[in-house]
Amino acid sequence: MQTLRRLNLHPGWWLVLPFLLVVMGMFLGPILNILWLSVTLPEPGLDNYAALFESEPLRRMLWTTLRICLITTVMSVILGYSIAYAMMHASGANRNWMISLLLVTFWISVLVRTFSWLMLLGRNGPVNNALMGAGLVSEPVEFMRNELGVLIGMVHYMIPYAVLPILASMQNIDNRVIAASRNLGAGGAQTFWRIYLPLTRPGIVAGAILVFILSLGFFVTPAILGGGRVLMVAEYISVQVLITLRWGTAAMLAVLLLGGVLALMFILSRLIPLSQVFGGARR
Amino acid sequence: MHDRQFMKETLFAGAQAFKAGRMDRRSFLILCGMAGFASQAVLAGKAEAAADQVIMWNWGGQSEVCHGSAIGEPFTAATGIGVGFDTSGPLQGKIREMVDSGAVTADVCDGDLFDAVALGQTGHLEPIDYTIVRADRTVDGYALEHGIAVILYGYAFVYDTEVYGDNPPNSWADFFDTERFPGRRSLYRWANGAIEAALIADGVPRDQLYPLDLPRAMARIAAIKDDTIYWSSGSEAHSMVVNGEVSMGMVWQNRGRSMEEDTDGRYKLVMNEAFAYPGGYIVPRGNPAGRENAMRFIATAQEVGPQLAIFQCLGMTPANPEAFDQVPEADQAYAISSAVNIDNVIFNDPTWWGNNIDEAVNLYLETIS
Repeated sequence: MQTLRRLNLHPGWWLVLPFLLVVMGMFLGPILNILWLSVTLPEPGLDNYAALFESEPLRRMLWTTLRICLITTVMSVILGYSIAYAMMHASGANRNWMISLLLVTFWISVLVRTFSWLMLLGRNGPVNNALMGAGLVSEPVEFMRNELGVLIGMVHYMIPYAVLPILASMQNIDNRVIAASRNLGAGGAQTFWRIYLPLTRPGIVAGAILVFILSLGFFVTPAILGGGRVLMVAEYISVQVLITLRWGTAAMLAVLLLGGVLALMFILSRLIPLSQVFGGARR
Repeated sequence: MHDRQFMKETLFAGAQAFKAGRMDRRSFLILCGMAGFASQAVLAGKAEAAADQVIMWNWGGQSEVCHGSAIGEPFTAATGIGVGFDTSGPLQGKIREMVDSGAVTADVCDGDLFDAVALGQTGHLEPIDYTIVRADRTVDGYALEHGIAVILYGYAFVYDTEVYGDNPPNSWADFFDTERFPGRRSLYRWANGAIEAALIADGVPRDQLYPLDLPRAMARIAAIKDDTIYWSSGSEAHSMVVNGEVSMGMVWQNRGRSMEEDTDGRYKLVMNEAFAYPGGYIVPRGNPAGRENAMRFIATAQEVGPQLAIFQCLGMTPANPEAFDQVPEADQAYAISSAVNIDNVIFNDPTWWGNNIDEAVNLYLETIS
């Protein structure tokens, strides 16, 4: 016990320790295994990583992934911000309705949403039929089965993930600050850009991180709405694991994905304290 | 290893006691827990399989019902062994992972015959026992060391009669000709069939098709890329046609009939130059019900009765030549191996695909995306 006190370790840790070790083992073990596979399959060495520099198709696939994830993130955050802002300024009853509707979308499976978009915006869907019926277009607009379709499907799925953290940070704002700004002579726009927006920055960053990371793992939507022509990294990994059995390539990409996400978190933690981003203590 | 073997035997004995009613469910599950098996694996596979069952690993949907009635019932009647299903789809990577992990929970996989080539070479499969399974009850060349073709499925195409009514397409050359036959097409996303179709369209003689000339095929596929979308499941191929997204679509032949029916005959199936792919039954190494039971299951599936029943239920064509001419007259147009079609179809080479699937699929994906 003397040593314990000197370590300044709360005895509660000893209760948690076994579980902590199990979780660490269960979690770190497979991750280390993936890392190991990426430098040992098909033969020991860094060949899998060298392919990143040598293979043009691999780089193109990664670029497609990055591009789609970035656009999805920006669009989701902008739309999510507007929705959160509207919620903040809606009356109590309306706000409750809006939050319920937002949460209901979490219960709808991604497959159902994907196929709904396909029905709605497809070549013979109601939107295209209406546009053609009204004489606005002569050919059906190609909303689906291309990169635009992927973006529509992904942004739609991601918006709630952007709304919730932004809403939380908006609720944390002390309204007297806004009043003070107006009182000191700033107009509505100036108050928004210089006071409101900076104060909601932790929410924006949290929403953006959440959306970006979830987008990286997106799989079903790109495959279906992209008409098979949009290949993103998550699906590529699954193909290499399940069909072509190039597990070394798959492991390398998984490590790359994990490293990329960790690096992103690290950079952000330099820019803005992560404790602020992920809620918790109001400073 | 010895511990593992001991636990396996303990579990096996426990499973039989449980089945015979000598042990209650709770004790059995506790035993499983002590043996270190996660409850899901226990319920889904290992112990259940040990309890006198053959687990068939297939693709879900209709196939669970169809395989159950077509193969499972006669098999159980003949042997007293039950049949269970895992419907998660036996992709090569999953079979390999299952065997490598030592927790094999399936006995017979409804795979592709090229899987038998690829996984057989790496030691992940039990060899077929040709004293139980009959090598003459399949198409010539489709009785391999680690797998045998039990059914045939095909890559054919359907076309929209309202678009091409007067001058219907009848070959892969027509399918790949976007000038004479304008309109959007669909191809399979994982390369099978699509590569062969591109080469036949490009004028490769059918008897010189294999080994596939990949660069030549990719050039042909890239040429119609702007007019093509790609499906990765049978239901997706179906909806692309039924929703009118494509004017011509490569489809699995067994789906062609329901597409004709669902569009009231607006889309028509073309079986000329269809590619016959052997659906291979393969057995993961160390399967829980034992190699012999798995072989007996495969042998049952080869019999004429089950062969015709699978055709009626799933549309997959019999691979056993004894069943070829027993396909009812009205269904012959939809069967690969019926007299009206067999001379016009092109048989797949599973060995080429087994050895080259990684390169072919990756090259194809790079070309189309």
